[in-house]
Amino acid sequence: MSIKKLGSTSLTRRQLLRSAAAAGVGISASGLLAACGGAAAPAGGGSASDAGADAGADNPLAGSNETNMQGKTVALTIGVIAGWPPSQIPIDLAPDFAAWAKEKFGYDVTISKSEAPFAALFQKVAPTLAAKSTEFNMFISDSQWLGALAEPGWIVKADDIYALNPEIDLEPYSDLVRNTYQIYPDGSDNRWGFPQMPDDQGVYLRLDMLEDPEEQAAFEAKYGKPLPTTYEEYENMTMDEFEEVVAHFHRPDEEFYGTAIMQSKEYDFFSCAWHPYAYSTGGAIWDPETQQIWDILNSDNNVKALEEFKRWQQYQGPGSADYGIGDMIDLFTQGKVFSAFQWLAVGLFMIPDELKGKVLAIPHPKFIGPDGNPNIIGAMGGQPWVVNAFNDDDQMRACVDLLKWWYTDETQAKFLERGGLPWSKAAVEAPGFEESTPYARAFKYMLSDGNSQDFWHHPKYAEMLAVQQEAFNGYATGQYTDAKAVLDFIAAKQQAILFDAGTTDIAPPEGYESMQPA
Amino acid sequence: MSIIEEHEIALTQTTAAQPKMRTSDKLFPIALLTPVLLFFIILNVVPTLWMLGLSFYKFTLMSLDPPKFIGLDNYIRIYNDPSFWHGFGRTFRFMVLAVAFETVLGGAIGFLFWGSANMPGRRVALTMLFAPMIITPVASGLFYRLIYDPTFGVANYLLENVIGYKIDFLTNVRWAFPAVLFVDIWMWTPFMILMTLAALGSVPKAEMEAAEVDRLSWPQRFRYVILPHAKFILMLGILLRTIDAFKTMDLVFLMTNGGPGSITELIAVALYRYAFASLNIGFSSALAVLLLIVAIAFTSVYLYILNLRRSSEAPTG
Repeated sequence: MSIKKLGSTSLTRRQLLRSAAAAGVGISASGLLAACGGAAAPAGGGSASDAGADAGADNPLAGSNETNMQGKTVALTIGVIAGWPPSQIPIDLAPDFAAWAKEKFGYDVTISKSEAPFAALFQKVAPTLAAKSTEFNMFISDSQWLGALAEPGWIVKADDIYALNPEIDLEPYSDLVRNTYQIYPDGSDNRWGFPQMPDDQGVYLRLDMLEDPEEQAAFEAKYGKPLPTTYEEYENMTMDEFEEVVAHFHRPDEEFYGTAIMQSKEYDFFSCAWHPYAYSTGGAIWDPETQQIWDILNSDNNVKALEEFKRWQQYQGPGSADYGIGDMIDLFTQGKVFSAFQWLAVGLFMIPDELKGKVLAIPHPKFIGPDGNPNIIGAMGGQPWVVNAFNDDDQMRACVDLLKWWYTDETQAKFLERGGLPWSKAAVEAPGFEESTPYARAFKYMLSDGNSQDFWHHPKYAEMLAVQQEAFNGYATGQYTDAKAVLDFIAAKQQAILFDAGTTDIAPPEGYESMQPA
Repeated sequence: MSIIEEHEIALTQTTAAQPKMRTSDKLFPIALLTPVLLFFIILNVVPTLWMLGLSFYKFTLMSLDPPKFIGLDNYIRIYNDPSFWHGFGRTFRFMVLAVAFETVLGGAIGFLFWGSANMPGRRVALTMLFAPMIITPVASGLFYRLIYDPTFGVANYLLENVIGYKIDFLTNVRWAFPAVLFVDIWMWTPFMILMTLAALGSVPKAEMEAAEVDRLSWPQRFRYVILPHAKFILMLGILLRTIDAFKTMDLVFLMTNGGPGSITELIAVALYRYAFASLNIGFSSALAVLLLIVAIAFTSVYLYILNLRRSSEAPTG
């Protein structure tokens, strides 16, 4: 029967659509109201987190005891970063945890992973947490996400777990560890994350080329000084001095380039590579206390830092504006570059069997600081564990047990064997650590207080980062040519984001809406 | 009793019987429509109205603050921000260029295959031609990202051997947009070939033969015989591609992430970023509503053309 015929039998198409629309409005209005109501409810409504640090007899945040998990079966899902080997190691070691939990507490636990690349993992996890789901019982978060996860109450406060399990509250090697992977808000004492994998920045060099007598002779002939070949010579080297080494090995005619630096628009790649240029020369990206960005990020110092960062493109290969972590590994391991500014945590992949003994890893070279002395403040990488606040009691106990197992000496030793890096004072200062891998010494140097710094842990980090990455990448690729205009644009937009979020009283400058980089 | 009288009596009986049928007449179509209407309401109407409602709120998932009604503020913000206008402009440019190239290329190749039913290897050739359309945009994006790579990519290897230099396809501000556009054309020209073949299949053989007997030139045959029959299906193809090109996101996201800078940042990529990276639900809903309005405009054109077809095909007199 056609709609026309239907109309003749007293129910018109218009009436049908009107009824459908009315039903839709009704349902959606009630849904919206419900959603509003839900959002307004106190967050972090997980049963266990509500318990806080109450040291009651059976607090799930204390983990399991000999009796409360006996004979039970728990399935945990852990969110990990795809393509980031350090966050896969816990999954590889999961059978050990299952055996440990069975032996110690008498329950069966199965661990499965759900993964997504760096930028996408947060997008994958956040909606499930917003829906108070336990799809991810715990996950490896990036340090910048702490605010976004803690503010709505999606994750358990680490302090609550530490209070009941002091044995896992290990002394960190430096305050950097605590400030990067644990604290939110910045400057407070509130810990939300548990260090999983620390990371910082360095440079990988081709040691075999540095040790080549012909190269040494050519360098000395050109610069009138010997080619530095040892870690000690590079540890305190300035960027100007390092530039001579890079320039010496830069041979574009042979499709071999002096260096590679991350500049991709992807995630925080450009930002992390540029931050040392700003931090080390006396610049800052914001005031964490007042959340002022305007006049701080777009300072003259940072304009020079951005111009200097771009100047280094002259020693890089084609397409350098799109370099990310993976590209750097490919370029370095396939013999296309002499050096690569890279996260030290990927050392295992930067030094495959073919390059063993041929690579030198050094800290990020220094800049001339505001006091006229060489200075380096690199960017922090690395990730913490975080625990879903909506886990049921059994899941929560298993998660806490997993943390307890993770921080045992035996598990940490296995983690390091597989390419992980330590963060506790005891492990970093353990005899032999600096010699354990070619990059351990540089890693330790950059993990020392004052040598690195993380950036915002603000809940609006993703929005701020997107503005910054797009504008920076536009500058790197030549879409924009004025570093000052680029930084003005970023600072204005980011200030507006924070002001709009209500976390600062500092308003963006007049006319920021129509501001565009040039 | 005459035949006419018998007919009249039968008609009267039918009319008299109608009231008895009415109840079932009413219920039957409703019963048939109910499942699809429920499906439509739950999966289409409710989310759309929900989105419309959220677009008037300041609402982010990353906050404990309840949604706050802000009226048209989200729309005003979009209106005042030049980057969104640039995004819309870029998207329209992408859409027009992609559809134009795909239509011309698809039409030309479709014509070449027209009437080639007995050509050896026709099926193999068509299968190969249609292959790009079958591959997911994500896979195509990744393939081309590698193909375009300035250091390891095969495209630059060939370029260097032929013209002596390389091109940074995806990071060069002049090349990135055409490079992405090329992949979209590569992927979707087969669709227009398919539509062209379907359109040409609707041209009656008799009329083509008559045109041949009348010695009409090929341009005349195209104008007076082929186009009148083929234009509706071709228009349908063009409109479907237009709507699809307008919402392109996956391909660009994989290949350039909207870069370099914002050179390939189509509006759907920006929407994705606000909705799923920033979880700014209120603002992204407003942007989605604007995209929906544009999509509805395209759909209206499509429905208008379909109605034109229906009226032109309806028997006259």
